[in-house]
Amino acid sequence: MDDHTDAREEGVRARADLVTALVLVALGLAVIYLSWTMPRLEARRIHPSTIPGLVPLFLGVGLTLLGGLLAWRSSRIEAPGGWRDLVGVLRTREALRVGVLLALALVHTLVLVGLIPFWAAAMLFIFAFIMVFETWLNEGPADPVKSLVWALAIAVAGGGGIYLVFERIFLVRLP
Amino acid sequence: MEGLILLGQGIAHFLTPTSLFNVIWATLLGVTIGILPGLTATMGVALLVTLTYKMAPDQAILTLMCVYLGAIYGGSRTAILLNIPGTPANAAATLDGHPLARQGRAGLAMGLATTSSTLGTIVGIFFLAIIAPLLSEAALKFGSYEFFWLALFGVVISGQMTGSDTPLKGYIAGILGLLVAMIGMETLHAYQRFTFGIPALGGGIDLIPAMVGAFGLAEILSAMKRKAIAHVVPVNDRVVPRLKEIFQYWRTIIRSGVIGTFIGIIPGVGEDVGSWTSYAAAKRASKRPEEFGKGSQEGLIAAETGDNAVVSAAMIPTLTLAMPGSAAAAVLIAAMLIHGIRPGPMLMVENPAFLYQVVAMLLLATLANLVFGLSLTKLFIKVLAVPRERLMAVIYILCVVGSFAITQRMFDVYVMLVFGVVGFLLREMKYPMAPLVLGIVLGDLLDLNLRRGLALTNGDPSPFFTRPISAVICIIIVITILMSIPAVSKRVRSLFSRTRADGSPARG
Repeated sequence: MDDHTDAREEGVRARADLVTALVLVALGLAVIYLSWTMPRLEARRIHPSTIPGLVPLFLGVGLTLLGGLLAWRSSRIEAPGGWRDLVGVLRTREALRVGVLLALALVHTLVLVGLIPFWAAAMLFIFAFIMVFETWLNEGPADPVKSLVWALAIAVAGGGGIYLVFERIFLVRLP
Repeated sequence: MEGLILLGQGIAHFLTPTSLFNVIWATLLGVTIGILPGLTATMGVALLVTLTYKMAPDQAILTLMCVYLGAIYGGSRTAILLNIPGTPANAAATLDGHPLARQGRAGLAMGLATTSSTLGTIVGIFFLAIIAPLLSEAALKFGSYEFFWLALFGVVISGQMTGSDTPLKGYIAGILGLLVAMIGMETLHAYQRFTFGIPALGGGIDLIPAMVGAFGLAEILSAMKRKAIAHVVPVNDRVVPRLKEIFQYWRTIIRSGVIGTFIGIIPGVGEDVGSWTSYAAAKRASKRPEEFGKGSQEGLIAAETGDNAVVSAAMIPTLTLAMPGSAAAAVLIAAMLIHGIRPGPMLMVENPAFLYQVVAMLLLATLANLVFGLSLTKLFIKVLAVPRERLMAVIYILCVVGSFAITQRMFDVYVMLVFGVVGFLLREMKYPMAPLVLGIVLGDLLDLNLRRGLALTNGDPSPFFTRPISAVICIIIVITILMSIPAVSKRVRSLFSRTRADGSPARG
């Protein structure tokens, strides 16, 4: 059973590596293009070996080569069903947990911060986070009433505490 | 002699009520961060920079150092009682620490881990006090050529040694870090690279928000990916170890301390590598290697001495060359710069007392670990019971505050978000984070010194290869890269094992 899971994970990793490697090659090529077309500041009469694009050009070439090598290596690993399993990873409960967490974080940081006071945004985020992960996405038995009490307590203590400690005691400005 | 006087002054400098108060709370916080799985030393230090930045410089660095050392030490508790490393540095400690705990000797295991952590730190401190002044003097003679190679060496060796899957991913992470450093105004001609017309990118990507993302948000995502179900082993025996229990392994302690020191000096190669390397060396040299992995006290001591020695030794390149010896040391460099302390070869000229103050900080921090570690067992076990769901929500808010507070721009918070998501994806794909961080820190040094060197010689690259120190570093880099190619390293290894088989027998 373990061997089977390991082989499957390796197949997923190989295919995921291939995708990343291709992204890296594309990034490398983009960097090469941008460095090549970067102004060479001829008007300022700088030495041609000190142009701003020199090091980025080397890095772009390096990234393209290493990305290519990784792509070649991972494409040679045989992984029957690797692509299907890779797509399957996106539909797991783990992916859902990560996705929900990111969504909460983005709503807090991109929408709420700036719209309402920081301490209020912090309290809302902490409350929602704890409620979501202790009830809806809880793997074990859930106790909604207990979670609600805890979520409220930690949201008030955490959000308020951070505000007091940073803004009042350490005189650090908050968003 | 002068060094000893400065050291004495360094220690005396911190024997004030304020300093001792800072040592106490920062160590307790550090140990707590270490104990909580999913919170690492680097994350702790990165988040704490915000809190310390209105403090006096020496107190701020003292606080951060206590958090760093406390977290690396605290992680061993989790390794022993839960079989989960509290920080990546304590992974090797799970192998023997947890079996010991299951045999009903959890107290002994915690006692051994605590004392060997302290001894490891002290070995590292010893070498820090000796090597750093010498290296700093040597580094004064380094020119652009040497600094270019050193920066490249840092990224290459870190990529080679931390790439858990393959060195290839380590190198790629290093290049990505260097590319991040290319964003913004370059220092030679003041040209703005890769800013795409966004004014906020003109100043480049700041290290602190990037680190808070890559080590804060990314770790929250990793930790929350699945629910951790863990069982704490009860502690029923004595925690304070007998001297004999420790010192019968004095060889292991010294060996692991020296290995940890060596690993610490190598830029960007951190505590986890130090711990694994000294564990492997202890197993090879042990009279009872069969006990390793089944509750060997020697194995636990080796692992915990090794990682703590790295922390002290990581300060050697950090202070003398401004090249971070570990990921957390990179944050320390950023913190020092915020407080107007410039690490690098000139530190010993401009501010020689600071090096010895760092030695004193490490000494105080490790003593605090020892005292708290042996006395507050019950309290620390309670920390293990804090549910992640409740903790991580608050940590995320701290990530937002930590990335915002230094320059007070929402842009830095967005940087944190991007690095958090990309860092999480890279971690999931087994890319190491250390070379990435090192690339961000060393990118400017590498770029500036390469082009400045070329400008000095009117484009002639030969001094990069003909100056003696340059040539040596260059050869080391070439060998490192060649050794990471499987075919080459296999052939070289077989060459050595053949000579050993023909000639002297292997030790052991």
